[in-house]
Amino acid sequence: MKKKAERAFRAAILPLLAGLLPLASCGGGDESARPQEKVVLEELDPSGQEVVFWYQHTREREDELLRMIEDFNRTNPHGITVRGEYAGKYNDIYNKMIVGLQGGTLPHLVVAYQNQARAYYQEEGIVDLNPFMVSPKWGLDSQARADFFQPFLKQDNIDGVQTGLPPNRSMEVLYYNIDWLEELGFDAPPATWDKFAEMCRKAKEQPFSKSPDQSRSLGFLLEIDASRLASMIFSVGGDLVDAEGKGYTLDTPHLRQVLGRMMGLMGEKAVGIVSEDYGDQKEFSVGQVLFALRSSSGLPYFKSAIEEDGVGFRWGVTHLPSGPAGPVVNVYGASISVCKIAPEGQLAAWFFLKWFTEPAQQARWVRASNYFPVRKSTAQELVEYFVENPQYKAAYDLLGYGKSEPSVAGYQQVRRLIQDAMVDIFDGGDVDQVLERLETAAGRSLAEQ
Amino acid sequence: MDNRTKDTLIAWSFLAPALAVLAGFGIFPIGYAFYVSLHQWRIRKGEYIGFDHYLRALGEPGFLVWFIAGLVLLWCACRVYRSLRDRQGGGYLPILIAAGLGLPALWLSLDQGLGGLLETGDHRLYNGLKITLFYALGTIPIQLGISMLLAYLLFKSLRAKGVFRILLFLPYVTPVIASAVVFRTIFSPHPSSVANRFWALLGFENCRWLYESKSVVGLFLRALDISTYPAWVDSCFPSLALVSIVLYNIWVYIGYDTVILLAGLSAIPRHYYEAAEIDGASPWQVFRNITLPLVSPTLFFLSMVAVIGTFKAFNHIYIMRTPGARDSVDVLSIAIFDLIFEFHNAGYAAAMAFVLFIAILALTLVQNRVLGKRVFYGD
Amino acid sequence: MATRRGRGRSWLIYGGLGLWATVSSFPFAWMLLSSFMTRGETLRRVFVPEKVQWANYVQAWKEADFGLYFENSVLIAAMQVGGTLLFSLLAAYPLARMEFRGRNAVFACILATLMIPESVTMVPNFLTVTWLHRSSPFAWLNSWPALTVPFLANAFSIFLLRQFLRGLPGELWDAARIDGAGHFRFLFGILLPLCKAPLLTVGMFTFIGSWNALAWPLLVTNSPNWRPISVGLQQFVSEAGAEVHLQMAGAVIATVPVLLIYFLIQKEFTEGISMSGLKG
Repeated sequence: MKKKAERAFRAAILPLLAGLLPLASCGGGDESARPQEKVVLEELDPSGQEVVFWYQHTREREDELLRMIEDFNRTNPHGITVRGEYAGKYNDIYNKMIVGLQGGTLPHLVVAYQNQARAYYQEEGIVDLNPFMVSPKWGLDSQARADFFQPFLKQDNIDGVQTGLPPNRSMEVLYYNIDWLEELGFDAPPATWDKFAEMCRKAKEQPFSKSPDQSRSLGFLLEIDASRLASMIFSVGGDLVDAEGKGYTLDTPHLRQVLGRMMGLMGEKAVGIVSEDYGDQKEFSVGQVLFALRSSSGLPYFKSAIEEDGVGFRWGVTHLPSGPAGPVVNVYGASISVCKIAPEGQLAAWFFLKWFTEPAQQARWVRASNYFPVRKSTAQELVEYFVENPQYKAAYDLLGYGKSEPSVAGYQQVRRLIQDAMVDIFDGGDVDQVLERLETAAGRSLAEQ
Repeated sequence: MDNRTKDTLIAWSFLAPALAVLAGFGIFPIGYAFYVSLHQWRIRKGEYIGFDHYLRALGEPGFLVWFIAGLVLLWCACRVYRSLRDRQGGGYLPILIAAGLGLPALWLSLDQGLGGLLETGDHRLYNGLKITLFYALGTIPIQLGISMLLAYLLFKSLRAKGVFRILLFLPYVTPVIASAVVFRTIFSPHPSSVANRFWALLGFENCRWLYESKSVVGLFLRALDISTYPAWVDSCFPSLALVSIVLYNIWVYIGYDTVILLAGLSAIPRHYYEAAEIDGASPWQVFRNITLPLVSPTLFFLSMVAVIGTFKAFNHIYIMRTPGARDSVDVLSIAIFDLIFEFHNAGYAAAMAFVLFIAILALTLVQNRVLGKRVFYGD
Repeated sequence: MATRRGRGRSWLIYGGLGLWATVSSFPFAWMLLSSFMTRGETLRRVFVPEKVQWANYVQAWKEADFGLYFENSVLIAAMQVGGTLLFSLLAAYPLARMEFRGRNAVFACILATLMIPESVTMVPNFLTVTWLHRSSPFAWLNSWPALTVPFLANAFSIFLLRQFLRGLPGELWDAARIDGAGHFRFLFGILLPLCKAPLLTVGMFTFIGSWNALAWPLLVTNSPNWRPISVGLQQFVSEAGAEVHLQMAGAVIATVPVLLIYFLIQKEFTEGISMSGLKG
C-alpha cells in the first residue's frame, strides 16, 4: 500500500520536476520578436532575399502555384527567390505557426484564415500590411487599390489592421439543374424564395427523367453549416452582426424567416439535410436533387461529375433568391499574411504578394485553381476562359454583390453554436428557446475574448 | 562492488537509452504542459496566473474537496465493511455500519461535490469526461471479450490460419483516413447506407447514426412512441453517434488486441496442455485453469493500454465527428484540440490536458491495484 | 479424432472466425471495389464496378508523389523499428527480472508518458527537436533524426515486453548464472530467442505507427524529401470535393506493403514456443 502511494507520488512529481528544470533556461521563446525600431520602408532594399511561403494547395493547384513561383523568381527585378512549401491543411499550418512563434522558424508568407490571422497578429507574429499598401515606392497606387473588390480587402481588415492580402476568393452559389427545371415547367432559376419553395415541391413530385434512382427526388439538401445559413440570411438582406460589426444579431426576423421556410419544406419532404460528406454535391450530380448550395471552388468537381462520367445534363450557377435590395452572395477564403521577420524579408514577401495579385497573375491563377480573382480588371484577361466556362462566368458576375461573414473575435465558436442551434431546431426544438440560448451563448463568447 | 550495487548499475545502464528518449520526448512535455497551464497563454507565453485555468475548468475548489472527501469516506466504508465482515463472519451489522458510513459519503461526494463542480466548472470539461467515460466503457469490455474469443478460436483452428489472421488484422492496418471515410458512408443517415439497409432488414426505421445526438435510450423510447421523457435520459446515456463511433473503434482495435493475445497464447508452454490432456480435462477447464491464468499478463497489458488509449483517443473520433452529433461525441481530447485550434487558447487547453493526465493516472493506479493482483506470472 | 463433438466444435470455430473475418474485411472490400470504379460509379453508389479502372492507381501514384514518399516511409519505419526493438528490450529486461532501487517508480514514469494527449505534446517536442537541431552538428529538422529519435523508446513496447519477460520461468536465470553468464549474455543469448513472438509484435506495431503518422512529420519537415506516405494520401481530400475513387486507390497503395510484411511474418507469431530443457 505504501509502495503504491510512493509510486503514485513519484509518478506525479517526477515528471513535473523533470519538465520544469529545462524550462528555467527556456524563456518562452521570444526569438521572433523584433525590436521596435523605426524602419523607413522607402529606404529598404529587398534584393536577393529568400522568401519562404507556406501554402495548403495540392495537386493541380500546387503545380501551377510552383510554376508561377518559378516565373516570379526568374523575372522579378530584385533577384528575390521565393520558395513554396506545402505545409499541410489549415490546421497543420496553424500548428507549424504556433511552434514557429515559440522559438521555431517562421516563414515569410503564410496562408491563414481571418481568425487565425487575428490570433497571429495578437501574438505579434504577422505585420500590418497597410504601410506596404500605401507606400509610394513599393505599394499600390490608388487606381490599383480601387481595382480590388473592396469587400475582400475589408474582410482582412481587423480593427484597422490589414492582416493579410487575399490571393483569391470563393463564393457560395446555387447550383441548379437546367434540364430538370425545364421538365418541371420553369425556364429560369428562382428569383424569389417563394418560387424556390414552389420548385422544390414540384421536384419532389416529379423526379428528373435521367436520374438513376427515381425513388429519391428532392428539391434541395441543406448542409448543417453556419456558412450556408449565413448565405441564406445575406440573400434576404440580413446579417449576423450589427452595423458596426461589434455584436452578434442572431435572433432576427431574417433568420427566423429562413429557418421557418426550410422547416416547412422539410416537413413536406421537399428539402432534406445533407447526410454524408459532399452529399448534396453527389446527389445533384446524378440528378436526384434540384438545387445545391455550395462553394464555387467545387465547380470543377461538379463539372467532371456531371459531364464526364455522370448522368449528363445542363446545369448552371446563380445567386440565391434575393430580397428587395438585390442579390447578395457570401464570399470567403483564406488570405496570405506576412510574418514578422526582418524588414527586408517582409518587403520581399510583400513584393511577391503584390505581384501575385496583379491581373495577369490572377488570370493565370484563376485558370488553374477555379477560384475568383481579387481585382476587377482581371476580367479583361479572362475573356476566353469565360466562354469556355459559362457557369464560372455566371458566378463571376456576382462578385460585386459579395459580403463576408463576421471577422469578430471568436466567430469560430459562434459558428459551432449556430450549427448546434440548427440541429436543435430541425429536430423539433422550440425555436424561441433555442434562439434565445444562441444569442446568450454568442454574447458570452464575445465577452470572453 | 557488491552484487546489489552491481545489479543496480547494470539495470540503470540497460534502461538508460530508453529513458533518455522518454525523458526528453515523453516526460518533458508533461512538465511543459503543466508550465503552460499556469499562464495566460494563447500562442506565446502571457502572464502567470497560477491555477486560474484549473479553477475555471474544474469549478470552485470547495466542491472538489467535498468530492474527494466523499470518495475517501466511501473507501473507508468499504474497508470497515471488509474488516468487520472478517471479524464477525457475516450478519447484518457490517452492512448496516458500512451503509451508515457509505451512503452519506456518497451523498457528500456526488450531490454536494460533483453537483457543485458541474455547476461552477466548465461544461466542456465535464462533458468531455462524461463522453470519454461512455466511450471507454463501450469499447473496452466488448473489444477485449471478442478478441479473447477470436484469439482462442484462431489458436485452435487448424486450417486457413494465415488467411484469417490477415483478414482480422486488416482494420488496424488500413490508414484511418480511408477506413473512416468508408465508415462515415456506412453509418450515414442516407437511406442507402449500409447501416440503414441492415436496420431496414431487421424491420426498423432509418436512423441518423453519426448525425444523431439523441441517446440510444431516448431513441428506443421514441420507437415505443414515448416521446416525452426526462432530460436526464438523453444526458446519461451515449448518443447514437457515439455508439456508431464505438462500433468503428471496436472494429479497428479487435485486430490489434487479437494479434497481441495470440502472441501471448503462443507463449504458453505446450507441456501444460499436454499434461491437462493426460489428466482428461474438459476444454472449459483447460481454458479456465491453464489458458486464462497464463495469458493474464497479456490481458492485463491490454486492459491497461486500452484504458489509457481510449481516454486519450482522438484521431478516429475527430474524423467521424459531424455537426449533427453536436457535443455528444466530444471526448476530452477533442475539447482540448478545439481549445488550441479554434479558440486559440493553449494555456487553458494545457490545464484540461493536465486534468486528463491526472484522471488517467488515477484510473491506471486503481486498475493496477485491483487487477494487478490477479495476474499470474508463471513462477 | 473426428468425433461428432469434435466436428461440431470445428464448425463453431470456423463459423465464428468466418463471421468476424467478413465483418472485418467488408469495409476493406468496399475500399478495394471503390478504388476500381470510375467517379460516376462512386456517385451512383454501385456495388461492383463494371470494369477495373487500373488507371486510378496510376493517377493516384503519380499525383500523390507516392514513389518518393514510399521510399521515405520505408526508411523511417525501418529505423524506428530497429531502434525501438533494441531500446525497449534493453529497458524491459531490468523492469521485468531485476530487483533494484526505484524500479517501480521508473516503471510508473514510463507509463505516465502514455497518458498525455498528443495535441499538447507536439509543441514541446518540436521545441526540443529545434533546440537539438541548433545545438548539434548534424541536422534534425527536415531529416531523419527528427522523424525517428522521438519514437525510439515507446512505453507500449516496453510494457509489452516486460509483461512477456516476467512470465518466463525464473529457473532460466538460475541455470544461466550457474553457467557463469552475466545479465547481458543472458538477455541476448538465452531470452532473445524465446522472445520472437512479442518482439515481432512490437516491431509490427511500431512499423504501423510509423507508417501512418501524419501530424508530426508535417510539423518537422518543410519539403517532400523526408515526408512519409500519409502526406501523399492527404492530397485527394480538399475542401471542395473528395475524389473517392482516387482516395481509395491511394489508401490501398498505402495499405498493401504493411499487409505484405504482416503476411510474411504472421506465421512466426503463433508457432508454439516450447521451453526446451527445463521440464521438471
